[in-house]
Amino acid sequence: MEGGAFIINPLRFTDIRSGPITMEIRLKNLTKVFPGNPKKGIPDTRAVDNLDIVVDDGKLMGLLGPSGCGKSTTLYMVAGLLEPTSGEIWFGDEDVTDLEPEKRGIGLVFQNYALYPHMTVYKNVAFPLTNLRIEEKVVDKDGQPVLDSEGKQEIKKRHLTKDEIDKIVRETARIVQIEPYLERKPNQLSGGQQQRVAIARALVKKPKVLLLDEPLSNLDARLRLQTREEIRRIQQSTGITTIFVTHDQEEAMSISDEIVVMKLGVMQQRGVPQDVYNNPCNKFVANFLGTPPINLFAGEIKDNKLYIGSEMVREITEKKVPDQKCTIGIRPEGIVVDPKGTFSFHVDRILTMGRDIMLVATHPLAQSNTKFLVDAFVKVGVGDVKVEVKPHKCFAFSLEEGEKRII
Amino acid sequence: MAEATTPETKEIDNAELHRNALGRNEKGGAPRKKNFFQRLFKGRERVSADAGEKNNWKAWLYLAPSIILLAVFTFYPLINTIVIAFLKDYDYVKQTNAGFTLDNFGTVLGLVGQTSSQVTVYRWQCYSSVVNGTTHWWFNSGSGAISEVYFQTDVIQYALPNTLIITFVTVPISIFISLLISIGLNSIKWFKKILQTIFFVPYVTNAIAVGMVFAVLFDYQGIINFIFHLGSTPWIDQAAPTWRAMIALCIYIIWHSLPFKILIFLSGLQNIDKQYYDAAKIDCAGKWRTMMNVTVPLLSPQILYIMITSFIASFKEYTSVVGLFGSPSTDGGGTKNMYTIVYYIYDQIKGNVGYGGAAAVLLFIVIMIFTAIQFQVSKKRVYY
Repeated sequence: MEGGAFIINPLRFTDIRSGPITMEIRLKNLTKVFPGNPKKGIPDTRAVDNLDIVVDDGKLMGLLGPSGCGKSTTLYMVAGLLEPTSGEIWFGDEDVTDLEPEKRGIGLVFQNYALYPHMTVYKNVAFPLTNLRIEEKVVDKDGQPVLDSEGKQEIKKRHLTKDEIDKIVRETARIVQIEPYLERKPNQLSGGQQQRVAIARALVKKPKVLLLDEPLSNLDARLRLQTREEIRRIQQSTGITTIFVTHDQEEAMSISDEIVVMKLGVMQQRGVPQDVYNNPCNKFVANFLGTPPINLFAGEIKDNKLYIGSEMVREITEKKVPDQKCTIGIRPEGIVVDPKGTFSFHVDRILTMGRDIMLVATHPLAQSNTKFLVDAFVKVGVGDVKVEVKPHKCFAFSLEEGEKRII
Repeated sequence: MAEATTPETKEIDNAELHRNALGRNEKGGAPRKKNFFQRLFKGRERVSADAGEKNNWKAWLYLAPSIILLAVFTFYPLINTIVIAFLKDYDYVKQTNAGFTLDNFGTVLGLVGQTSSQVTVYRWQCYSSVVNGTTHWWFNSGSGAISEVYFQTDVIQYALPNTLIITFVTVPISIFISLLISIGLNSIKWFKKILQTIFFVPYVTNAIAVGMVFAVLFDYQGIINFIFHLGSTPWIDQAAPTWRAMIALCIYIIWHSLPFKILIFLSGLQNIDKQYYDAAKIDCAGKWRTMMNVTVPLLSPQILYIMITSFIASFKEYTSVVGLFGSPSTDGGGTKNMYTIVYYIYDQIKGNVGYGGAAAVLLFIVIMIFTAIQFQVSKKRVYY
């Protein structure tokens, strides 16, 4: 496939080395309703509700949310395996909403990989190529294009030859580093290897769009860490626009260019991972991102200050906020142990984590398990501890519906 | 550290358990060789002597119903068939015979014949002549008396070819059709259950009854001739040539064997993960390629099972001939042109039981060979 220039086809089949043609993905008001059964009193389920997302060309988008939030449904709609109830899906300038999955030019990595168990790794990877029909410009023996009767370039459709397939398969195998396993069956591979084969199968036809459905959920912790970097590496080296679905916020945040947090089919927030973490738009997002999760307390705003009980945890300097009851969230890393501090809690246990120590604490107004992280050299004992709260790690959320962030 | 040591201790425990389970001694030597019967009798090594005795006695008691039934209705007839196949002039009423012989096999295969005066002769001792287009065999006893010899050639001429034709025509076709039907049934959404039931009806219908219905359909004044405007072509009647009768018979056998195959294939299809089909869609595989590259390989264990069982069943085809034709003959003149091997065996109850026994043994060997070949071939093709 040197140069790759002689091939034009609907799948934009080009050589990896010459740079793929990728696409931005736009979802417009995408909605999926799974019909219930009115006779049995089962209501309709709105799995995805008016989703509006743009994934920029060549970027990796992490679709994040707890299970049942509609993220996989969204992915399958982008893939074409599920039909949207309403809304549109655009790949670049092309409306693909009603297009069959095989015509969309996508690669999909399934949660459990769905490698064909009866085929060797080589055949698994080659399978999409054997189905492919490419369009080729007809040239005469001097390399001059042959024109048809209307004066247009004559185009011939054909399957790839065995040599072409072999070359592409080996090239892809090299990228995902599965060359030694090409003759094995999938069940002779470890989870991580299977996962790379699945990615190779998705990449081999050089898709415009790569979709990954919780690809790391079947791997152990160490392999997960390694593989997610691998995915990032492969994505960056191929430059394919990618959507990555996961319920693991750490996973999504570490490799995504952008993340979208979803809850019950509704997009909550979209942005660069660190931005979303630093500026969550509501209590759900703040609570969902971060391990250990944010500590929540019942509090109130009085005279532009945040109070938990009678203790003032933070002053609001940015703007004037009316007095009200609210939920106050403090990130686990958001405290400094300080005898002159304004906030205090009771430490029950201290867990040593190596780099940090974790304080497992109780507070009468806490709404969840309270956990704080402090540097390992800080001397803390079990009992009441006074702390200073870092202002940028402390948020206030409205008690009204939506629990939007006030500050 | 704690993490590092735990798996090791676990492994030791596992090894111990493994040794115990295999009945090896402490040093990890070879397992004590014990076959099923030794285990049954020498249960006391494991438990106390008393309990061992009891277990023994009970084990036989529990096994008794099936062992007795198997012994009376399977093992005894099986062995007796083989014995009878080697006995000359066995009479099952008087339980008499004229000693050991291989002539039964020779007769079945058309190598041994009898002269008009009941003398047994071999084909290579005879010479033939053609009179009015038919071959006659003659034997010269040496004393100048020439007598005609009669060979039984029903098996070689009719039963074996018919059985092979039935097997190699009906098995592949019926597997292919039932595969298509079950894939179709599996992919429809509405009336699935009802259609499954309808397709299963032939299985619970009596073969003779179905045969009578087909006999009406294929009658020279029947519906088949009427629909296809074939005049009064005889299919199964006394004037039907063998090939035409064979077409009717094969259609009947295929139709009657579909439901069981559909049932097995459907259950296999329902076990195939739907994600493979999603993956095939993403991989741009069309319907036909998906079927050939995903469905069929993943269904291969069921296909192998069906292939072997239906091969065996069609080698034993008999009721269909009775149901459709009522006799082994269609072209008049008393030739047994629709014989199958089992039909021949059955007919020998009236004739020489020894011939039937010999034919049964030969059939057994043929089935064994074909099944072994299928297992060998399938080793590479079947994915479990």
